Amino acid sequence: MMLARVADSLYWIGRYIERAEHLSRLSDVMLTATLDQNDAAVAVARLAMASIGDTDHHLDGRTPLEAVHAMVFEHDDSSSVATSIARARENARQVRDQITTETWERVNLLYLRVTSDYAERDFGQASSSFLHAIIADLHLFKGAADATMSHGEGWGFLMLGVYLERAQLIARLLDACFGDKLEHVPLGDHLAQTAVLRMACALEPYLRAYTADIQPRFLLEFLLFNEEFPRSIRFTTARIEEHLTRLSRHSEATGRAGPERLAGRLSARLEFADMDEGQGPAAILSAVAAECSRIHLAIYETFVAYPLEQRLPA
Amino acid sequence: MPQTRSLDRVARVEDIETQADASAKPNFYVPHLTYDEMFAADGSVRPHYGPLHTRMTTLQPSELADRQRTLEQSFLLQGITFTVYGRDGAAEQIIPTDLFPRIIPGSEWQQIETGLIQRLRALNLFLADIYGDRKILADGVVPRDLVLGAPSYRREMVGLYVPHNSYVNVCGSDLIRGEDGVFSVLEDNLRVPSGVSYMLANRDASKRTFPGTYRASGVRPVERYPDLLLTTLKSMAADWRPDPQVVVLTPGVYNSAYYEHAYLARLMGVPLVEGRDLVVHDNRVYMRTTVGLRRVDVIYRRVDDDFIDPLTFRRDSSLGVAGLFNAYRAGNVVIANAPGTGVADDKAVYAYVPEIIKYYLGEDAILPNIETYLCREPAQLSHVLANLDKLVVKAVGASGGYGMLIGPHASQAERDEFADRIAADPDNYIAQPTIQLSTAPCLVDGQIEPRHVDLRPFILAGQKIVVTPGALTRVALKRGSLVVNSSQGGGSKDTWVLVGDGPQS
Repeated sequence: MMLARVADSLYWIGRYIERAEHLSRLSDVMLTATLDQNDAAVAVARLAMASIGDTDHHLDGRTPLEAVHAMVFEHDDSSSVATSIARARENARQVRDQITTETWERVNLLYLRVTSDYAERDFGQASSSFLHAIIADLHLFKGAADATMSHGEGWGFLMLGVYLERAQLIARLLDACFGDKLEHVPLGDHLAQTAVLRMACALEPYLRAYTADIQPRFLLEFLLFNEEFPRSIRFTTARIEEHLTRLSRHSEATGRAGPERLAGRLSARLEFADMDEGQGPAAILSAVAAECSRIHLAIYETFVAYPLEQRLPA
Repeated sequence: MPQTRSLDRVARVEDIETQADASAKPNFYVPHLTYDEMFAADGSVRPHYGPLHTRMTTLQPSELADRQRTLEQSFLLQGITFTVYGRDGAAEQIIPTDLFPRIIPGSEWQQIETGLIQRLRALNLFLADIYGDRKILADGVVPRDLVLGAPSYRREMVGLYVPHNSYVNVCGSDLIRGEDGVFSVLEDNLRVPSGVSYMLANRDASKRTFPGTYRASGVRPVERYPDLLLTTLKSMAADWRPDPQVVVLTPGVYNSAYYEHAYLARLMGVPLVEGRDLVVHDNRVYMRTTVGLRRVDVIYRRVDDDFIDPLTFRRDSSLGVAGLFNAYRAGNVVIANAPGTGVADDKAVYAYVPEIIKYYLGEDAILPNIETYLCREPAQLSHVLANLDKLVVKAVGASGGYGMLIGPHASQAERDEFADRIAADPDNYIAQPTIQLSTAPCLVDGQIEPRHVDLRPFILAGQKIVVTPGALTRVALKRGSLVVNSSQGGGSKDTWVLVGDGPQS
């Protein structure tokens, strides 16, 4: 049992932390890939921008470094690394009594780093190591949370945020490569293929599973259906289902169209689907996106913004 | 990461380095006319400051500066900040914190403690009386209009049952030490006193900054405050709910004391709620949880009276809970402190506290008041107007160092302007002689300098009254300044209450 507002904040800490990590990694991969001056590099930049919802006009007239700088620091942009960390920290401040000191210090330190007067200078001097340090600190946050917080209800909401955000981010990345949108980016080149794997932090696990034989079909299969890789959509949806099942056990609102039912359905679909199913990858990806939004709404209706009339004591 | 590591280093270094470099002694100041906490008038070190003074002489200025920096870093990392609103939006700042503790010998504390308990007992009896039979008013000890006409008097509280007659559960009195070395009470804070988290955070820091000195001095612990607070709050509901659900009610993350609200909730292990988390149904209070509504029994509120219930008090408040006061009237929830306690820390009622103690307890006040002139009395008003250059004048309703005139430090024009204000509304003003607060050593720009300090101990009253052996010492960081409020550039330092009276005892 915890305050609905607190559950909401913990859920958003998870989402923002995951978003900050993904954006940092995307930025880093994009910067490294665009050191090469060829078509594949352009494709990678377009793909990275497309996967965060920006079509390539975002790059217009700007160097990749400028575009990445915006992705990291732009304060008005609701999806920049700095904004995500600031919001995660603001949410953490609101539930300061619910998270351990060790966890709080990690996110507070990150916030102080990305908002310090030297942040942009450090980024300008060594952008790759700046991003690398942020990713490492975000991992420390997750590690501190894992190792010091009770794995109870609050933890469940935190992880729910992490996995739901991750499922949506990876789905969007894959959608940019394999979706049925007109402008989707073809993955013909080896450089582009490894870049996509790097953006999902999947290169090394992929190599162990499929060897260095990188093919778009295997890549898609790995990021959609792999059971063990923590950033595959199947893995994340299984975790979402797991956490929701545990959280719903306490709720008085069971028996309705709860979020755990939606999550179970999505999870089962990914477990038993295969690549050659009638509709193809685009259909699976858009189903994942739609189901994740529905789960998000159902979490709100069940745990956070429920109508009071249904819960008043008789 | 680096911060944590260097803290560990400091902690170890002090115990290892014993060799003092005699050539690099820091410069100590010569005590001035006023009472100094460390130096006696003849320049000798007071015995209870012995171990700290020795330590101060063995540390080089650069080491002191290092420790000060480490201290500030650790406050920033922990998020012990308050919010300052300025031109460029809101900025978070740490409250300036001085690394040298202020030390109070055991016997002196004994006196303070009994004095504080006596005072709070009398004030709680006074509140029960003025919201009950009003005997003290009928007997003419305190003027009737002064109490019943005060804006902080809550008619809604008349005739309500308050367990143990504990209207004030948490009290943070302000004490000062004058030139004669005697502690007196400057102000009773009976509404929603704050600062206790700084007492605890300062203690945490000073243990790491001066571990050896701390051990050698024999300091009484303050760390039990959160569980004593919880016990106090629970005792307020004990006669009707066996295991009451306690919550801390905060105005929210934008309040300047938010850190403290979260800190206390965390250390008590109770939910930190905002007004929007609570619902009143059928005169019972519930909080919205992930599993539905759950009953709330005791609310430790850090929201002012005016804002706790828009149906009873200020209509435009969005910080409170609609219907909360009715639930309180019905006896279904405890609000701590009770609404309406502010009338007893009114600056005009303050002048009557010695009589109030005498009236209810038949005792003389152990801790004296500061001599206070009430401008509502014509004879005292003319005295005040004639001596504005020697007096401190305060508006009765204001706090936080606002709306006051420090006569000796003001210009003639400022005094004239204030005189007009007093003459226009004499009921609203009181005046006190300017007290030279005692000074304590502080680190200012790498130098050890005397700064004026006050003392805010914390008293808890539920079934019984407990005083935590420690306090927040507030520091006026500007040279010569007498204003210690954090909203006016004040800082704070840790306060060590010793078991004995120093190394000799």
